[in-house]
Amino acid sequence: MDKLAKRLREDADKIDASLSPQFKERLRASLENVSQERTPAAPARQSAGFWWASSLTGIAATLAVIVISNLSLENPEPARTEPPAQQFAAQFDWRLQPAVLTQTLEQELVAIQSDLRKAERVVRDDIDQIVVDLPPENP
Amino acid sequence: MSNESALIAAAKQGSVGAFTELVGGYREGLFRFLLTRAPSYADAEDVLQDTMINAYRYLHSYDAKWRFSTWLYRIALNNIARIRVPAPDGSVDVYDLGDEEGGPLEKCIAASEIQNLWLSAQRVLNDEVFTAMWLRYVEDMSVNDIAALLDRSISWTKVNLMRARKQLESELNQSLKTTSKAYG
Repeated sequence: MDKLAKRLREDADKIDASLSPQFKERLRASLENVSQERTPAAPARQSAGFWWASSLTGIAATLAVIVISNLSLENPEPARTEPPAQQFAAQFDWRLQPAVLTQTLEQELVAIQSDLRKAERVVRDDIDQIVVDLPPENP
Repeated sequence: MSNESALIAAAKQGSVGAFTELVGGYREGLFRFLLTRAPSYADAEDVLQDTMINAYRYLHSYDAKWRFSTWLYRIALNNIARIRVPAPDGSVDVYDLGDEEGGPLEKCIAASEIQNLWLSAQRVLNDEVFTAMWLRYVEDMSVNDIAALLDRSISWTKVNLMRARKQLESELNQSLKTTSKAYG
């Protein structure tokens, strides 16, 4: 090892890089956290006694529900299968305005066309009147 | 299977104890390097912590063709680069403020060792060349590994190591002259 390399090595060793106990603890806690993220906790195994107890509790609860529902239905009302028609009939207003037709459709068409021609004539007359009333342009 | 390989295998299975034992031998060396690169002591601690967490989290991707220490340095260099990147608008990041009086390296060197060569290296070399010198002369890494770590060619690494050596030799000679003059 040459002089420079030796000196570089020695000088690096002189840098105090000791880690504080607090930092080491912080590091350990961080790693534990990451470890828990990586391996999600498995559900705890239950004993056989626990499964028996829970099964029996479930069966007992089911039997209790059946007994209670049978006792309370001594005179059951017959179930309705169809809703009453009035219930829906009142919700809609069926009254409509009837069309006012005083003549046949062909005659109506002739009358509308005549009205259109009259209106066209009135518009033309108005336009002519406006043009006549305009003052002459300055040369 | 070596002890390190066994610890790596156990740590890959999720053993925090195995991982702590595995990195135990590298932790202080890595922290020493981070003290030379980080703007403050607290940043060096944060980067070390992030490095350890990332190493543990991504241990499954570790390739045994690398030395474990080289892989750790790769992660540490990525983390240190992240806190040293300037903001796009050119504003000064809080990390750039560093310690109020001197960098963390000055604080971790005894006052009697003020002529520590790494302080001179920090002054005369750029970050990348400083890192290359550290990896070569403190971590005993091969030139090939250093080049791969720094994403540089082997020739670039060799040339820059040589130049850095010359610069530091000159610094060393100058400091020796100054010392001998001081003592008459």
